[in-house]
Amino acid sequence: MRQTILQALEQAYSNLVHMIAEFLPRFLVMLIIIVLGLLVAFVLKHILRALLGLTKLDRVSEQAGASRVLRMAALPSMTELLSRSVFWVTWSGFVLVGLSILGVPGLQEQISRLFRFLPEVFIAILILFLGLVTANFLSRTALLAVVNAGHPSPRIFSWSIRFVICILAISMALEELGLARQTVISAFSIVFGALMLALAIAFGLGGQDLARKSLQRYLGDTKKEKDKEPQPL
Amino acid sequence: MAEDTFLADDLLRQLMSVGEVDLLVGISSHGNAIAVSQAVHAIEQSFQQEFIRQRVVIVHVDGGDNDGDGAAAAGLSALAEKDVRLPGRASLRTVHRVKADFSSPPSPGIALHTILAAADLLRARACAVISTATSNLTPGGIANLLRPVYQGKFDFVAPLYTRHKYQGLLARNLLYPMSRAVFGCGIRELYSDEWGFSGRLAALCLNQNVWHEEAIRARPEAWMAISAISSEFRCCQAFLGQKSQSTKGSGTDIVEALRQTVGNLFWCLECRQSWWLDCDKSEPVPTIGPDHELTSEPSDLNRHRIFEMFRSGVTELEPILSSILDPETHAEIKSIASLEEQTFRFRSDLWVRTLYDFAASYHHAVINRDHLVQALAPLYRGMTYSFLVAHSDSSPDEMEAESEMLCVEFERQKPYLRERWKANVEVKS
Amino acid sequence: MALQKDNLWYKDAVIYQLHVRTFCDSNADGIGDFAGLTQRLDYLRELGITAIWLLPFYPSPLRDDGYDISDYTAVHPSYGSLEDFKTFLTAAHTRGIRIIIDMVLNHTSDQHPWFQEARSSRENPKRHWYVWSDTDTGYQGVRIIFLDTETSNWAWDNISKSYYWHRFFSHQPDLNFDNPGVLEALWEVMEFWLNLGVDGLRLDAVPYLVEREGTSCENLPETHAIIHDLRKRLDLLYPGRMLLAEANQSPADVRAYFGNGDEFHAAFHFPLMPRMFMAVKLEDRKPIMEVLEQTPEIPDTCQWCIFLRNHDELTLEMVTDIERSYMYDEYAMDKTMRINRGIRRRLAPMMGNDRRQIELLNGLLMSMPGTPIVYYGDEIGMGDNIYLGDRNGVRTPMQWNGGTNAGFSMADPERLYSPVISNAVYGYQAINVDSQRRSEHSLLRWMKSLIQVRNASQVFSRGSIHFLNPSNHRALAYMRQFGEETVLVVNNLSSSAQAVELDVQRYRGYIPIEMFGRNLFPRFGERPYLLTLGPYQFYWFRLRRI
Repeated sequence: MRQTILQALEQAYSNLVHMIAEFLPRFLVMLIIIVLGLLVAFVLKHILRALLGLTKLDRVSEQAGASRVLRMAALPSMTELLSRSVFWVTWSGFVLVGLSILGVPGLQEQISRLFRFLPEVFIAILILFLGLVTANFLSRTALLAVVNAGHPSPRIFSWSIRFVICILAISMALEELGLARQTVISAFSIVFGALMLALAIAFGLGGQDLARKSLQRYLGDTKKEKDKEPQPL
Repeated sequence: MAEDTFLADDLLRQLMSVGEVDLLVGISSHGNAIAVSQAVHAIEQSFQQEFIRQRVVIVHVDGGDNDGDGAAAAGLSALAEKDVRLPGRASLRTVHRVKADFSSPPSPGIALHTILAAADLLRARACAVISTATSNLTPGGIANLLRPVYQGKFDFVAPLYTRHKYQGLLARNLLYPMSRAVFGCGIRELYSDEWGFSGRLAALCLNQNVWHEEAIRARPEAWMAISAISSEFRCCQAFLGQKSQSTKGSGTDIVEALRQTVGNLFWCLECRQSWWLDCDKSEPVPTIGPDHELTSEPSDLNRHRIFEMFRSGVTELEPILSSILDPETHAEIKSIASLEEQTFRFRSDLWVRTLYDFAASYHHAVINRDHLVQALAPLYRGMTYSFLVAHSDSSPDEMEAESEMLCVEFERQKPYLRERWKANVEVKS
Repeated sequence: MALQKDNLWYKDAVIYQLHVRTFCDSNADGIGDFAGLTQRLDYLRELGITAIWLLPFYPSPLRDDGYDISDYTAVHPSYGSLEDFKTFLTAAHTRGIRIIIDMVLNHTSDQHPWFQEARSSRENPKRHWYVWSDTDTGYQGVRIIFLDTETSNWAWDNISKSYYWHRFFSHQPDLNFDNPGVLEALWEVMEFWLNLGVDGLRLDAVPYLVEREGTSCENLPETHAIIHDLRKRLDLLYPGRMLLAEANQSPADVRAYFGNGDEFHAAFHFPLMPRMFMAVKLEDRKPIMEVLEQTPEIPDTCQWCIFLRNHDELTLEMVTDIERSYMYDEYAMDKTMRINRGIRRRLAPMMGNDRRQIELLNGLLMSMPGTPIVYYGDEIGMGDNIYLGDRNGVRTPMQWNGGTNAGFSMADPERLYSPVISNAVYGYQAINVDSQRRSEHSLLRWMKSLIQVRNASQVFSRGSIHFLNPSNHRALAYMRQFGEETVLVVNNLSSSAQAVELDVQRYRGYIPIEMFGRNLFPRFGERPYLLTLGPYQFYWFRLRRI
């Protein structure tokens, strides 16, 4: 009995030692890969930043209006954003490669799944980001237009637009990720349809006056309007 | 495409035939044959009355089709060619008419670009740009734009008009005082449909790499004036008579007017910042002919609606305004917006600070720049309301004195603009 | 080279205008004479001109350069005798040169025996050969021509105690053509000279012959009737002789003097001349085009006489006030250069002695429709003396060589009728016939070749004119066509090089041959014909279809 226990302990010990002896080098290799990855990512980040600085990307993005979008989303400049992304992507790549070396059963499969899933996550994030920016922009456009046209309830109008676009963006993002496809699409359709109906009813019944005024404006009957304000120029 | 073709072979061939000229008058049209014919008539009469010995050319930048009134156009231009000669006063020289055709209506910037290119190639000494929308421009008025330049005294001639006292409030309360404070040159009508300039100013502007800019395409005239001021060219103003309001175009659409003028002015601030940030001078601009005049006629302005639009704008646009305005300015605006209509006044110092906040925020692009300019509309309405109330019984002299005080206020607060302009980018939205 | 029989000779002529007094002095009295002129005929033949127009050489008090005649049928003693004139006439004819003399019908000198008789008493038979009045109020509103010197068209005669009518100087009383005796007497005078063999008569101051109350007293039908009568007599008795009208009027008014080919053979085109100068200064063809557009058609047997400068001022009567002030500012800034309504300067000084401009203007003169008249001295680019009174500044002695008195006379310089030009630029040492004859590229040599090219064809003298309207207004281009012959003339009126595109569709396939060098130019094709011209350059192309 004692012999058996000792044997088992010895077995366990030798297994442990064996495992440790097998694991340690892998762990060390993983650490080396991670550190190396950090270094490589760091160098890549700086090279890219210098290169982008040389190509004056920021000026181009400023002129193209992309910087404004980034600023509104509280994001750093285009150069910074790109170089940071490269850093993180590179490093996380190394980290994952390192982890796979550990040879933990199942982990490898999970990692490869993650690698396959990563692009979709990126696209989903991008869709969300663009959706939010667009929602913000269009809702403000609507708000200003309605306020300056002197129509009532500009905020509802602006909020509706923001809401619809956000819903759209979220559903697109979820769609991209492949999560709850049917639910998301039906939910969006219901919300959008209801909103349009509500607007149609509100505009048609509640806002007859508004509708008349708007139509007058768009059809060019501006005589009455003209008398109301002094000519600016 | 337009930039590639704006000096088409055909135009170049026409310019070759014209050769060097003393005077060039440019007109831009969108196929409105009757208006063009009237403008050409006025220009030719001006040449016959005032510049009988000079080498002259009319450059007509045309876009759009004459389908509807093609025959009328042909008839009118034939009429113009025959009948423009005043008895005993024919021009000694051939009066050339050069036509630059565009397939679609050219923007004012493209039209001006073409006219400047023609002026430069023809080495014109004095040039003027005339709008076909201005139906009542007299031959004398055209001569007033050309003469100061032709006589070699000035490089830029801005127009001055007789106006109704409630007309041109944007110019009176914003464009004129602000441009005067910032650029140090008091041109009253920075945004107008007609102006004069010298050949050397034309050459300077032509060689600037700005013609692709949207602001220049829409309203190039203020940029040209500011280019003249910042390049130490000599500017003056010439009286042209009654200002006619174009039937189409901005009219009373305040947002569109703000976009075209205030947006453009902010853009000019941006592109000339290296100059005005260090400039402290403020020089009066010589005026040729009588100074501008004011007439008063009864008006049926709906003041109440203007005030309501101000008040609702301030409330509804709060998040936008808060990203544009300095917190203190914003708080003050909110507090005056809560006043009763009878007690409401938009103080000039607050107005100036508001505008400077807008200019700085435009510079830092805190929100979309077009949105920013649109957000100014309710505040402008507030100022307009305040002005209408204050000047319902004012005489022209009183209004003038008030206007001068506003200018001084703008000048006094210029350091504030400078400070906000140079401040670090604040991202608020 | 004798005269050829051709009744239309005046259409092909190149006329040289001179005053006997100014040309050559043979007897060292300081005044040019017929004997001297005869000696110089070979020079004129060499130049290529085919007719001479002599300014008045009759006995005269010379208060208006001989236009104040005191004897119609003699030669002023200073210029020689009638015999000298006959010798000159024969010599000219043997060289193929025709002679046109000046005939003043409108008025005489107040020294003329006719006027002396007329003023002697109110009953004298010659009294009504002139226009008399007891008051100076008749013919109100009639313009005064010599504005600088005269204040009225009436002058007081102290002898007969009445006023007499004069359109020019007060010492030039107007003859009364309502009196048939006057016309007969003048016809006798004309017959006298025609019998001697003169080929043409230039009738001076034609529009003013007859006066009628309530009119401008110009271009009256009665005046035309007189001309018509004279022409009928001339055609009957002296075929092949010509009448040349001096009528400083608008082309439409002058047109009337051609009648239906039964009044004058030729008339001066006064309005064209100032506009040629104006066009060059403006660098714009508009003035020339305008005046030629206003010029009416004339009968086939008639001809315009065109000129650049003559013995009078460059008259600006036929231009608008604006044009006149422009001409003054550009060509006569110095007020001493102005007289009456004109500019008293010669061609070369007006052009700033710019050879290219002088050539261009002569090129225009020789290629425009009409008979060209060259004023003496302009073929060598003589200068003027604006400090001599009246129009004497353009009537200085001809500059033959760099010797004494410019080779004009052997008299003492003080004795000359007028000082020779002796400044550094236009003085006779610099500008004279001898030196220009020797210099291959002189203006004189160039003028000779120009006249030669013109004379080689009748296309310039008789051809029709058709203007091309290139979009470049600095280019004046026209086609001259006569029979089968077509010539294209392109002038650059500007001081800088120009490109011109000519619409020559009608002449597609023709080959232009430059007429001075006879060089071929590229054939006319489908597209507008592109020519480049240097400053003030002109081309004459003969178009040939081969």
